[in-house]
Amino acid sequence: MEKQRDAASILIADDEKNICFAMQFLLEGQGYDVTCVEDGAQAIDALQSSQPQLLLLDLTMPKLNGYEVCQAARADPRLGAMRILIVSAQCKDVAVEKAMAMGADGYLKKPFSSADVISAVGTLLNGSPSEGQH
Amino acid sequence: MLERLSLRVRFLLFFGLIAAAIPAVIAVSLYLAALRMEDDPTPQLVLFGGVASFALVGIVGWVAQQFDTHVAQPIVAVARDLQTRMHANPGNDLQQDEARYLGILGPTIREASDAMRTLRENVDAKVEAATQSLDRQRLRLETVLRDLNEGVIVCNLDHQVLLYNRQALKSLYFSGDLGLGRSIFTVVNRPPFLNTLERLTNRFTSGRYKSHPDYLHAPFVFSTPDGRHVLQGKMSLVVDEDKDEAQSYVLTFSDATKSMSTLAERDGILGTVVEDFRRPLAALRMGAELLSDTKPVAEDVRAKLEDIIVEESKILSDRLEEVTRRYQAIATSAWPMSDINSANLLSVLARRYREHPVLRCDVSGEAQWLHCDSNTIIELMDRLVRHVLEETGAQVFSVEAAVGKTRRYLDIIWSGDPIRDSTLCGWLEEEIEHGAGRMTGNEILRHHGCDAWCEQMPDGRVRLRLPMPDPVAEHSAQTSGAPPVRLEFYDFDLLQRGAPTGDLAQRRLRDLTYVVFDTETTGLEPSNGDEMISIAGVRIVNGRVLTGESFDRLINPGRSIPKSSTLVHHISEDMVADQPPVEEILPRFRDYVGDAVLVAHNAAFDLRFIELKQDRTGVRLDNPVLDTVLLSAIVHDHTDQHTLDAVAERFSIEIPEETRHTALGDSLATAYVFLKMVDLLEANGISTLGEALAASEKLVQIRRAQSRY
Repeated sequence: MEKQRDAASILIADDEKNICFAMQFLLEGQGYDVTCVEDGAQAIDALQSSQPQLLLLDLTMPKLNGYEVCQAARADPRLGAMRILIVSAQCKDVAVEKAMAMGADGYLKKPFSSADVISAVGTLLNGSPSEGQH
Repeated sequence: MLERLSLRVRFLLFFGLIAAAIPAVIAVSLYLAALRMEDDPTPQLVLFGGVASFALVGIVGWVAQQFDTHVAQPIVAVARDLQTRMHANPGNDLQQDEARYLGILGPTIREASDAMRTLRENVDAKVEAATQSLDRQRLRLETVLRDLNEGVIVCNLDHQVLLYNRQALKSLYFSGDLGLGRSIFTVVNRPPFLNTLERLTNRFTSGRYKSHPDYLHAPFVFSTPDGRHVLQGKMSLVVDEDKDEAQSYVLTFSDATKSMSTLAERDGILGTVVEDFRRPLAALRMGAELLSDTKPVAEDVRAKLEDIIVEESKILSDRLEEVTRRYQAIATSAWPMSDINSANLLSVLARRYREHPVLRCDVSGEAQWLHCDSNTIIELMDRLVRHVLEETGAQVFSVEAAVGKTRRYLDIIWSGDPIRDSTLCGWLEEEIEHGAGRMTGNEILRHHGCDAWCEQMPDGRVRLRLPMPDPVAEHSAQTSGAPPVRLEFYDFDLLQRGAPTGDLAQRRLRDLTYVVFDTETTGLEPSNGDEMISIAGVRIVNGRVLTGESFDRLINPGRSIPKSSTLVHHISEDMVADQPPVEEILPRFRDYVGDAVLVAHNAAFDLRFIELKQDRTGVRLDNPVLDTVLLSAIVHDHTDQHTLDAVAERFSIEIPEETRHTALGDSLATAYVFLKMVDLLEANGISTLGEALAASEKLVQIRRAQSRY
């Protein structure tokens, strides 16, 4: 599918390369502009240079964990409009609560289906799952 | 025959005899005089004799009445006072006024009684001193027993409970009333006990125990009668080797219901992971390998293989979700934790900074119940507060417990910069000394199944938040339901007492088990719609009031409570609005009473309320009943003051003002009064239940007869 000119930009920060690849493939197929990074420090760098509309963030990453990235992003006024979706294998309720307390907008527990990702991304970017699907 | 009559009746008979003899003597004397007179003197002599007889009988009557008032009655009163002083209340004052016509009898009795009192006080002081050291040792033993984490119950061979500790009560309270002197089988299932006891007894009688590795102990598993709670423990036979006989058995146990079901669930989860994941994984692996194979496959086969991969991945995901859900439900830490009130925990933390040069910390918010290991949590919070001070320079902190939508938290609050998560993670990696070893902050959090984070509060301040597990037990802010400070948990005298044998009526009053009870009501007329609003009882076993085994319930009367009655018992409509109705409470009271003898002050009144509810509640109390009003009239027949206050005052029993006219307070006062009465009843020759019931019945008949006139 061709990217639209006003395609929403998404940054994926996850150290699992296979998931990164699959999600990039999936979301680009949906018409989004997707960039991937593999650890927290790279994510912070990427956020310095660009302001994506959505950050797909793993919690357990080398260098800086996802909570830290989330906290830093929320402290940066330029990223005020950016939505943050946590994609993590941490499945305890308390992990979800902590992520939300630190500024995340949504939480997807691994494993998830492609439809789950498309729906969650669509909801965060457009307010409803259906509008997000191109 | 004459000895059975009371002193006053005997005096009356004596004077009656004199009064009867006077006319007879005068008549005989005048008759003899008339024989010696010549003229017929009959009219004059009859007149003279009649007048003299009438006057003399009158004088005798007056003397008899004076004698009764000033001699007979005072003798009876002094005797009663003396009896009360000797048997029940050494402080009871002898009535000096009453004895003023008895000459030196009054002072002599007083002297004798004072001498006896001094002697008794001396003996008491010596006994007191001798038993004090014993008491101290007993107290230590009680403390150890009370605080043991395991339940302990000691029973005699008739399975009557001789001792239990707090933990036993906690583990078994839901299955029935665990109480001294009661059968253990009211709270546990019978067969495992009998089988294990038989095994141990056989081991003992055959002498095998001497070489047996477990000696006279045997592990066993038992359950509550309804089978809902499983307990595991150890039974130990207590033997008297001199007499070569078993005497009792000791049971130590813990509630295994949760650990056993958790173990079973863990097994189930492991089974699911080991076996149920293999099938979808096998299909997934084969499908993926076939697709990646270099050999070309037909388009329809490729499509089918892709379907297999999608389908099996979904199955695998679903199973993982299911296993995760099941695991989270039982995931608990083996680290010992208990319910604790946050006010206690946080004030300990705040006190640490009183001497700190810059750091100020106060406890804010409402107190909450939490389930945690207070020791490690205090050390962790202390470490975090000090780190925040170093990191941010904040010097003023508040610590508080908060209740969120789904869980409870401990918060450290300050004004200033938030802490970066990586900084916090670093602090949590540090080892903390907690008195029982060292562990990292992360380990402490893991034991509590929680995490920690720093977040901005809506008011601009910052909080470091530690989620905490919910309390295990239900805690109420009210303290009225709290157990008494001192509980009676044991009575080894029950060991000496055989199983109840023979007719109940023949048994001695001091050997019986009683439930002394009282009710509070909306008014005094049960047949006109007045209802019970409170019922309470206390047990007396072996002459001891077991305050720790009391029954105390409020009842919703299903009608309004007149303000005049609320003024007496202080129970308002609000207090009973959420309480169960009488249909629910009375069956529980019947279970509590069991086969005990009932005792109440003016029992007929309370029983009438229960009796009128018989159709609705199905509760019929057929137990023997003793009424302390009647018993008081028997032992204190010199007065007609038999209210609970008057009787308690005679026995020097203080009823605290705040508990007077509460069902439990009055039950307790009546119980102590009753125990004093048992001594006096024995002094009056009434020592069995049958005799006490007969004496009460006789008094009722006399009063009935009196009320007819």
